[in-house]
Amino acid sequence: MTSLISPATSNRAAKVMLWVSASIAILTLMFILGYIVVQGLPVLTLSFLLESPRLSGAEGGILPAIVGTFCLMLVTLLSAVPIGIGAAIYLAEYAHEGAVTRIISFGVECLAGIPSIVIGLFGYAFLAIYLGFGFSILSGGLALMFMVLPWVVRVSEESLKAVPGGLREASLALGATKWQTVSRVVLPSAVPGITTGVILGIGKAIGETAVIMFTAGSSLLMPTSLFDPVRALPYHLYILASEGISDKMAYGSSVVLLVMVLAINLAAVAIQRHYGRHHVRN
Amino acid sequence: MSEIEIESRNLDLWYGSAQALKNITMAMPEKKVTAIIGPSGCGKSTFLRCINRMNDLVKDCRITGELLFEGTDVYGNSVDAVELRKKIGMVFQKPNPFPMSIYDNVAYGPRVHGLRNREELDRIVEESLKASALWNEVGDIPDRSAIDLSGGQQQRLCIARTLAVKPKVILFDEPCSALDPISTAKIEDLINTLKHDYTIVIVTHNMQQAARVSDHTAFFLLGELIEFGKTKQIFELPEKKSTEDYITGRFG
Ligand SMILES: Nc1ncnc2c1ncn2[C@@H]1O[C@H](COP(=O)(O)OP(=O)(O)OP(=O)(O)O)[C@@H](O)[C@H]1O
Ligand SMILES: [Mg+2]
Repeated sequence: MTSLISPATSNRAAKVMLWVSASIAILTLMFILGYIVVQGLPVLTLSFLLESPRLSGAEGGILPAIVGTFCLMLVTLLSAVPIGIGAAIYLAEYAHEGAVTRIISFGVECLAGIPSIVIGLFGYAFLAIYLGFGFSILSGGLALMFMVLPWVVRVSEESLKAVPGGLREASLALGATKWQTVSRVVLPSAVPGITTGVILGIGKAIGETAVIMFTAGSSLLMPTSLFDPVRALPYHLYILASEGISDKMAYGSSVVLLVMVLAINLAAVAIQRHYGRHHVRN
Repeated sequence: MSEIEIESRNLDLWYGSAQALKNITMAMPEKKVTAIIGPSGCGKSTFLRCINRMNDLVKDCRITGELLFEGTDVYGNSVDAVELRKKIGMVFQKPNPFPMSIYDNVAYGPRVHGLRNREELDRIVEESLKASALWNEVGDIPDRSAIDLSGGQQQRLCIARTLAVKPKVILFDEPCSALDPISTAKIEDLINTLKHDYTIVIVTHNMQQAARVSDHTAFFLLGELIEFGKTKQIFELPEKKSTEDYITGRFG
């Protein structure tokens, strides 16, 4: 049986259809970004970035929210990275495949599946109330850590497992201990992958609203310690928009949020470049 | 007669319930090259990996019998595998340089063993690269990534990396099987030089190679040591029919 459409025609048709799909994807992205930037640009002045808000944010700037967001990210990063990578190293390099690793992996999966609003509630009950951290950078950052930890663990574990076994054998055969092998050979080889995982996690966390509104508070004052409440950018723009305070200011905040995400991604690329220079080039 | 450096006595090894080595008894003399030949899956790598205890990494691997290195059983309670591997280096089938610079690859072992002095490290790196016949090619580019070297250069780098730890024994597991003839010839020349200072055990599928580089040859078949003796004798006057068949290419 011969097909009615010749291979050359179907080839051309496929090419056109793929091109259309790609164009739609890119155009959607451009449209969203363009719209937000155009809407937000008028309010984007130096004083918007460097001043505190006035009249609940209808006027003035968003500096405390920017600083608050940075502080939250820092707490999240500094807690999630060591714990996440530590857990991943244990799972990938030390634990024998068995009941324990399955339980831990299952736990990690479950943690990943918990809706962020529930994590927020837990963070409120456990961190803010039970541990007495109150509405604060510490509570918010740690609650976000709960949220990103599964990502960090899973991606780090995958990256560690992807390091060729020959490198481990080579190191051990030179009389290196297991820990020397893991810390000097395996971990550095896995850094590009781990970085990607951490960035994905932080990218998720930076736009997260449900977790922080229960834990970080919504203060518009400049924080002075880890125990001060802050209002993160996404929550700020949510309030600006939902309470009808100022759409312009909300778009301005969105642009700043987008730029922060972009900056984080660029940092990730730089780290990957740095560590990737010894990897096979084609 | 030179001293015996490594000796296995009634060595049995199981992977789970499958026996991979059966009652291996043989003695490898100091500063000589011992070749291990035999068809695929006969336990050559397994035996080699017993000597530096790489099989410790394999779950469900069980060993009985004795494996003596300098007269002590390497599986004895007092022996630390990490310490043992400083004295017994290994070069693998597939070149496996670390994703680091050439310098850092060679300096890896000494650093791991606590050497920090830069001049001393420089000296060891130079010595090791010279001893592995790589210095002329990479001496002026020590900061280049090892991954950018050719396969043959990578394998010589792996040898340099092993030499830098100053072992007494070097185990080679088919070191040339991924290399072209010219690189292979270089590695063979290297082995011929290294045997003045090191005890060498080499697994190879290449009969000519075994004949060219080794002083003694062991022929393995299905986990058993069929014949062990002077290489010349094994190749010219094998005692067992199966050895002769294998060497002449009548099976394998
Ligand atoms: N880690 C392992 N777990 C279970 N069985 C193994 C393992 N390594 C090797 N074996 C088995 O042990 C036997 C001997 O394997 P070994 O790798 O020593 O053979 P070899 O002589 O080196 O073969 P080749 O020439 O193909 O490298 C084989 O049957 C192999 O399937
Ligand atoms: Mg083998």
